[in-house]
Order: sequence, then structure tokens, then C-alpha cells
Amino acid sequence: MAKIMVIEDDEIIEEELKNLLENSFYEVVVLKDYKKALEEILQIRPDLILLDINIPFINGKTLLQELRRKSNIPVIMVTSINSETDEALSISYGADDYITKPYNPNILLLRIGAVLKRTHYKENRTILTYKDLEFDMAKGIIKLGSKEIILTKNEMLIFSYLLNHQNKIVTRDELMTILWDNALYINENALTVNISRLRNKLKEIGYDKAIDTRKGIGYILL
Amino acid sequence: MKIDAYFKDNLDKVVVFCCGYGINLLIFLAFKVDRAVILSSSFISVVSFLLILFIPFFRKKVFYDSLLSNIERLDKAYLVLETINKPEFYEGKLLYQAMYEINKSMNENVKTIEEAFKDFKEYIEMWIHEVKIPLSTLVLISNNHKEQFDKRTKLQLKRLEDYLDQVLYYARCENAEKDYLIKETNLAKVIKNIGLKNMDDLLEKKIDYIVGDVSLEVLTDSKWLEFILGQIINNSIKYKRDGKNSYIKIEAKEEKDKIILSIEDNGIGIKEGDLKYVFDKSFTGSNGRIVGKSTGMGLYIAKNMCNKLGHKIDIMSKEDKYTKVVITFAKNNYYDVLK
Repeated sequence: MAKIMVIEDDEIIEEELKNLLENSFYEVVVLKDYKKALEEILQIRPDLILLDINIPFINGKTLLQELRRKSNIPVIMVTSINSETDEALSISYGADDYITKPYNPNILLLRIGAVLKRTHYKENRTILTYKDLEFDMAKGIIKLGSKEIILTKNEMLIFSYLLNHQNKIVTRDELMTILWDNALYINENALTVNISRLRNKLKEIGYDKAIDTRKGIGYILL
Repeated sequence: MKIDAYFKDNLDKVVVFCCGYGINLLIFLAFKVDRAVILSSSFISVVSFLLILFIPFFRKKVFYDSLLSNIERLDKAYLVLETINKPEFYEGKLLYQAMYEINKSMNENVKTIEEAFKDFKEYIEMWIHEVKIPLSTLVLISNNHKEQFDKRTKLQLKRLEDYLDQVLYYARCENAEKDYLIKETNLAKVIKNIGLKNMDDLLEKKIDYIVGDVSLEVLTDSKWLEFILGQIINNSIKYKRDGKNSYIKIEAKEEKDKIILSIEDNGIGIKEGDLKYVFDKSFTGSNGRIVGKSTGMGLYIAKNMCNKLGHKIDIMSKEDKYTKVVITFAKNNYYDVLK
């Protein structure tokens, strides 16, 4: 479980952000003392930092610069200032990503996932397993012994997302976001079709009813 | 300076000279002065008078002509004093001094206004950033407590954000300051961001977002471009035609010296008569009246921003058929050389 540190001045955002991240199975720590921010970060050693630019005592960008002299902990800058100059500056100071407020929570989670994947290669598995199935993400193939099923790119993204959130309800909204984030701009009908195709393919390989529909909410991979 | 107008202006001197010399002639005749003396005296007097009358004309002409022609040639006429030589004659000196003083006071005045405008813009920017904090909180809360907030909340929050951004970019692009950063930007990324931002709206209204091969690099400010394209997509969503198969089609193509991005929808289109005004400030046209909720600012700001960034924006449409917006990015060869 990756540990994410939230450095955020606004208490309610901090609270809700914590909720959001914990619901997505991250461990969350919040910065307590802004005056000793750097020491606290280095002591806690989080896997990723969500850093707001407007924080008390020290500017987020300055903190980032100081942090980079000592550590390469991935940092996502979060700010309500939507400007290219600011973004370019943050990136040049060593930020791994830059997100503007108000952010779409699903997209924030995707960006966090992407940065963690990029920086922690050991967790960057391309072969996932589901029960006795082997799922090769790079090739888009599900294997059961010598039997192979080829997934389309849409099906592959849907399946890997369901698999990463196994036994948890995944909303259609989340699936749509991950598809659109991969430049696959499909509509509601196409998503339904893709899910039922994926179901049929899993059925072929002996996993009938692996994906359950929770009416009005989403899907769950059992 | 025209000689006939100058002559007319100095007609009083001519009249005074003629009267004076007429009396002089009468005196000559009364005293029976010799004819040769009268003739030579008259000749000298007339020539002297003409010289007195016209020498100042030629001195002044040099100054006024260059003043007037420079005013005409400059696009900022108030800079004219910097371009002319200080005149040698007394009236010219007075005029020059007066213009200098007027200019100075005007500059001070403009500077005060500029500073006030800059303060105002900074306040607006700061205010928008402040407002975005509670807005972010609301977005997070509505996401974390889906049982209490349905999709409608999300869409309303997005509308709120859109309106805030419109004010932000209006303040940014009306300002003389350079508030953008041009760098190489991938169109695909910008188009993906706008897609994600408008995903809920597009899905809700059943509009297909069809994106061709747009993986091209252009020189622009990606945030500004995102806003510009956002305005266009917003319009396509707002002015969609009832019925099935609505779409927004985005395509890009590369030509020798430019990259052309087109965004086409099959919405209600724009009346031919309205087409040439759509980029005007506050123009809402007949579509704005049909749909309501139109501020007439979106495309005006978009056009202004394109001008600043050096992109060309064009719109074509057929009522009840389609609307197509085309943005042209120039390619910079100098930039390629640097690479």
C-alpha cells in the first residue's frame, strides 16, 4: 500500500482528500508542522507527495526545491493557479506532475497511479493474475494454460482497472474516465457493449459471471 | 502646409500693405516725384513685402509638414514628438513645448489608469484562485458523498468553474502584459484534457467525441489553447441539435508552413447573417436567444487570445447543418533550427 503525504492548507480539502485517497486504498499522512515541513517529509518518507503551492510559512515551490536537494520522492503539485508559467516552473523544480484545482477526483487518482507506476518500477507489473488466469497487460492477452484470449484495447483497460480494484464496486464513471484518459472517447452504449464482450470472453475461458453488475452504481469483479 | 491657405490667412497684412503703399503713392504723386523714383521705390517695397510674407512660410512649412506626415505614418500618433526636429521659429517652439507638456500629463494619466487596471486584474486573478478553493472542496465532497449529491451537482459545479475561467482569461487577455508562455505543445494532450473535462456533459447529452489523428506539436500556451478549445466545445454542446447522432469531430492536419486544427459539430449551426459577428463582444445572435444562457463573451475572448498567441481562428457554418471552427498555427522554422 503506497503512502501518500498530503500537504494542503485548507482543512476541509485535506479531510476530503484523505477520504478520497483512503477509499482508493492508499495510506494517507498529512503534514502537521509547516515550519518543519522538510524534516517531517524526510522522516516520514512517503511514496508520493501531493503538494499545494499556497501553503503557510513556505511557498510550495520553494519547499519542492529544497526537497529536491535531498530526495527524489515523487511530487504532484496541486494549485488553484492555472498558468503555463507556473507549471513550467514547477516541472523545472522537479515536480512529477502538476494538477489544477478544482480537479476531477477520478483524474487525480489516475495521475497519482501513473506517477507511482513511473517511479516505483518494482510495482510496475505487466503480468497480473486473476484466480488461475494470467493477464498480460503488455500484449493484452488473458491466458489459462495454453488457452489464450485476445482483448481489444478498451477491454484490456476495463479489465485491468477492475482487476486492480477487485472486490470493490467500480463506477461506470471511473471506467469512462480511464478510457477517455487513454484517448478512447467511447459513449455509454459502447461501454455497455465492451463490458458484455469482456464478459463473453471471460465466459469462454470458464469464468462466467466474473463481472457482476450493481444496478445504478457500477460493476464489480468477484 | 498649403501656400494658398497661408496667403488667405495673411490677407490682413496684404490689405494693410496695399493701403499703406496706396497712400504712399498718392503722396509721391502730390509732390510730383519723378516717375523713375516711384517705380524703383515701388519695386523694392513690393519685393521686400513678398519676402517678409513668404520667408516665414517656408521655414514653417518644413516643421509642420514633417509633423503632419509623421502623425499620419505612426500608428501611435502620440509618439510624434520623438520623430521631429525641434523647430527654430518662436511659434513652433511654443507649440512644441505645449505638445510636450500635454504628452507628459497624458502619459501620467494613462499610467495611473494602467496601474489601476493592473491592480484590478491582479485582484480578479487572486479572487478567482480564492473561489476555486471552496469550489474544489465542493467537487471533492460531492464525489466522496455520492449518495447525497447526484450527477447534477457535478455538472453545475463544472458550469461554475467554466464561468470563473471565462472571467480569468478575459482579465488575462485584455491586459497589455504578456501573460502566456509559448512552448511546444502536443495537440492530442490538450484535446484529451478538454475531453475529460467535458466528458460528463458530452455523455449526458449523448454527443460523440470523435478525435482523428491529432498527435501534432504546435507552438502555443497549452492552458490558453485549452480554454479556447473549451469555449468551442462548450458551444457545440450548448447548441446541439435535438435528435440522434450528435457529434463533435476534431481533426488536425499538417501543411508545409502551418498546422490546421478543425472542430466540427452537427449542431443547430449559425445563421448566415450572424456569422460575421460571432467573434464580437457580447454578440449573442439568434442562437443565443433560442438557447438562452449565452453571454456572447466566449468566442470574443477566444478570438482575442488567438490574436495574442498568433493563431488564426475562422468559423464556418450552415444553419441546421454544421458549425466548423478552424484554428491555424504557424510553424516556426527558426525554432526547428534551434533544436
